[in-house]
Amino acid sequence: MAEDFDVFDDGAVGVYLHLPFCERICPYCDFAVVAAPELGAGREARYVSNLLTELKARRSDFEGRALASLYFGGGTPSLFTPQSIRELALAVGAAFAERGDDAAGGRVPEIETTLEVNPSTIEWARLPDFRAAGINRLSIGVQSFNDTLLKRLGRAHRAPIARETLCAARAAGFDNLSIDLIFAAPGESQGDLARDLDELLEWEPEHISTYELTFEPETPFGRALAAGKMNSCDEDLAADMTLQIEGRLKASGFGRYEISNYSRGEETRSQHNQRYWQRQAVLGLGMGAHSAEARSAGLPHGARRANPRRLGEWEERIRTDPARTGDEERLSVAGSRGEAVFLALRQAEGLSALRFEAEFGGSPRVFFEAEIEAMIRRGWLIEGGRVAGDLRLSDLGRLLADDVAAEFVAAV
Amino acid sequence: MMTIDPALIRNFCIIAHIDHGKSTLADRLLEATNAVSERDKKDQFLDNMELERERGITIKAQTARMNFTAEDGKTYVLNLIDTPGHVDFSYEVSRALSACEGALLIVDAAQGIEAQTLANAYLAVEANLELIPVVNKIDLPSADPDRVAQEIEDVIGLDAADVLPVSAKTGVGIDAILQAIVDRIPPPAGEATAPAQALIFDAYFDSYVGVVMIVRVVNGVLHKRERIKFMVAGIEQEITRLDVIDPTPRSVDSLAAGEVGMVIAGIKTLGDIKIGDTITTAAKGAAEALAGFQEVKAMVFTGLYPVDSEDYEDLKVALEKLKLNDASISYEPETSAALGFGFRCGFLGFLHAEIVQERLEREYDLDLITTAPTVRYLVVPRDGDPFEIESPAALPESAEIHEIQEPVVLATIHVPSDYLGAVLGLCQDRRGVQKDMGVHGTRVQVRYELPLNEIVTDFHDRLKSATRGYGSFDYDLVGFRPADLVKLDVMVNGDAVDALSLIVHKDKAYGRGSELTKKLKEFIPRQQFPIAIQAAIGSRIIARTTVRAVRKNVLAKCYGGDITRKRKLLEKQKAGKKRMKMVGSVEIPQEAFLAALRLGDD
Repeated sequence: MAEDFDVFDDGAVGVYLHLPFCERICPYCDFAVVAAPELGAGREARYVSNLLTELKARRSDFEGRALASLYFGGGTPSLFTPQSIRELALAVGAAFAERGDDAAGGRVPEIETTLEVNPSTIEWARLPDFRAAGINRLSIGVQSFNDTLLKRLGRAHRAPIARETLCAARAAGFDNLSIDLIFAAPGESQGDLARDLDELLEWEPEHISTYELTFEPETPFGRALAAGKMNSCDEDLAADMTLQIEGRLKASGFGRYEISNYSRGEETRSQHNQRYWQRQAVLGLGMGAHSAEARSAGLPHGARRANPRRLGEWEERIRTDPARTGDEERLSVAGSRGEAVFLALRQAEGLSALRFEAEFGGSPRVFFEAEIEAMIRRGWLIEGGRVAGDLRLSDLGRLLADDVAAEFVAAV
Repeated sequence: MMTIDPALIRNFCIIAHIDHGKSTLADRLLEATNAVSERDKKDQFLDNMELERERGITIKAQTARMNFTAEDGKTYVLNLIDTPGHVDFSYEVSRALSACEGALLIVDAAQGIEAQTLANAYLAVEANLELIPVVNKIDLPSADPDRVAQEIEDVIGLDAADVLPVSAKTGVGIDAILQAIVDRIPPPAGEATAPAQALIFDAYFDSYVGVVMIVRVVNGVLHKRERIKFMVAGIEQEITRLDVIDPTPRSVDSLAAGEVGMVIAGIKTLGDIKIGDTITTAAKGAAEALAGFQEVKAMVFTGLYPVDSEDYEDLKVALEKLKLNDASISYEPETSAALGFGFRCGFLGFLHAEIVQERLEREYDLDLITTAPTVRYLVVPRDGDPFEIESPAALPESAEIHEIQEPVVLATIHVPSDYLGAVLGLCQDRRGVQKDMGVHGTRVQVRYELPLNEIVTDFHDRLKSATRGYGSFDYDLVGFRPADLVKLDVMVNGDAVDALSLIVHKDKAYGRGSELTKKLKEFIPRQQFPIAIQAAIGSRIIARTTVRAVRKNVLAKCYGGDITRKRKLLEKQKAGKKRMKMVGSVEIPQEAFLAALRLGDD
């Protein structure tokens, strides 16, 4: 079925494995995580075995697709042993042939294989073994090099440990490092941010993700904000910081290829994350993982599957119906159109009118004439570029991406 | 047909401050005369609405008839006429009092005289009633009946020796009260052979029989199936039913001079009759109505709007139903650019307004936005006749106005002397003019003239908190006085927000204006352009604040594959925008109105 793909389906699949355990839970985090001060070999083995069961049951939904990316996310996936990671990578490699390679199985995949690493828990002695296990890209949750901010964020690690981790990663031969940075933390100044950016750049990462601290309602930070015990960053300061980051990183040779993501070159963009933004197929395995299934005859706009966010519930589903661990959401045409627009606009290339028309049978203006006009008039959207009708955000529009995006979805 | 000898009738009421035990005492009297069987007994028989019970306020008057065999061996008919216990119904209270010859004046043995005790006592004295002072709750450990009896003598001028000590809770002293009613209260005067004159002192709507009127026959006799005339309303009807209430209705063939009972005469709505009107017979009727009738007028007005515009019809139906039971509510449709469709409602006073709003929300399950209460103003234009307005929107341009007059009340306030300073400060702040002050032991009674618009929102609450709940307050409307009043408008980007317009005293306009603009700023989200929020008197801006244009609105995280959640957040954001009210080109969330209208309540 690989020959069946068209302009908006690359015919491949990315695989995401969610390893939800954390030694402690950060107070701002609303991901699907499980607190596990000590993971323990038995628990790890059981989780790995369940993942393998799910992979076996789910792979047929993505039959014939080439493996395009592999991503171990969390949680803190580096809590798992290199042996477990290797076992999982081998199993995924065996399940899907790599692109341009028909000989599946028997060795770890050579496509982009990312492991999220947490400086507070990594045993850097393990990094060479992760490398040997097939990991070729690390995403390191540094967040800041400022101990005061790290403490305020409720992080367990401090800057020296982050530095040790970065050194160890380079020493182990990793040549594709991504560093996560949180900004607009409580009390953070533009001076603080400048110092963080300076040190970040000294480490010469290939990729940088920057996240403004978000107060999610169901987190300790969110509750503290609602109770008036914490203040979020002033909107103007957060806007200035966003511009500060963009200016500093661009001047250092990074391209802002997505709202929150920068890379040195096109080849070091996150292949895996781009699959979500470009609405390509992804098989998500593990508690709380999300899958995106490509369109098919019965599903003209594809489907999503969200696995249960509770460990016990996911395990129960593995026991009873491992092919259907998550609830399916069939995408409507209107929902898909809105997503196509807002996801594309978050990326530097913006929305391709041709690709949009190929999927929805009309150019963006056919469906969103009034919205596009209003956004252009406000100076938030730019039309044209390589192809007439293409749309992308202006500098101003990037600061207001959610306001722009909201124009293209249905009110509920 | 048996008529009762007027010499064996006693008509009385009970007057008391809230919580001094009026309802409990009424229950004991009914029990002692076996008017209420144990089975019928609710805790407080006379307070029949849930809300009354909760607030301890009797909203609609009721009445009950008891038979009591006195020491002289004769059986007397005692009619207990209940009076509405709160100040906004003072006219109705005065009508109920004029249906009696005497009153029990109840004072709490621990708390002593309060503002309402006094206000009601004055009303009773004005109505020429024989007062029987009763000190209640003598069972309380903190009771000091002798001190309170002395206070009654000092403040009201009733002989301390005549004070009856009672515990309505334990029943001590109840028989003495019944005997005193017979001994001290005069029997009704009135001529049974004269043309009929009956005073309507209360009425309520019953869904089976229509309007039920509670009357005191002053002269003559009313008969069942007789054609009667309402002398003020000018209508004629036939009596279909006559009842006495002992304490549940029991049909009778006639009511004669001195008696109290219910008249049902095929009247469909309360609006058709008037409290204080005189009923006479259509044939050979009385030449004149009884004295004391007044047209009752709403004094406090608010706009009531449903939070959800789809509830408009429900609100309309609810108001119609409430009006069936309370003819003093008035309402008419009103449209606000900011709040949509609603009603301008008139009430007798602010307590009345509060109670009606609570009933709408509680009994009819409506979510309401209430605009700031306003009072009735008298506008004297440069040209033409003076006229009254009920809404800030009706005020003409200031150039056309010669003078605005506002209603003024005489407020009676009772406080422990420790809190006097706080109370004087509060009254001063509310533009009060002190009339007199009297000290009785540790308590002070002070009287102020206060503009009604200064007490409609939060005066009562402030008084309570300034005196830790020990201060009490009563008021009586005394008339209209000229005042330096202005209309304060709130504008967003130059467009007036009609729902927030107010009439205020000039000296208060600035403070009020800056409070309002600040509060709105808190709740109006930043939009694509800067928003100027201004408070203005006419064309003069007196307060201004700005909501800056939006700088940034982008959620950083969009990975991990949960695109659905991101889409739903955006969909919610869009829906939130749709729910906002547009004033000019500015989107204002409903919470902003609620917060601005709640100012002053906090």
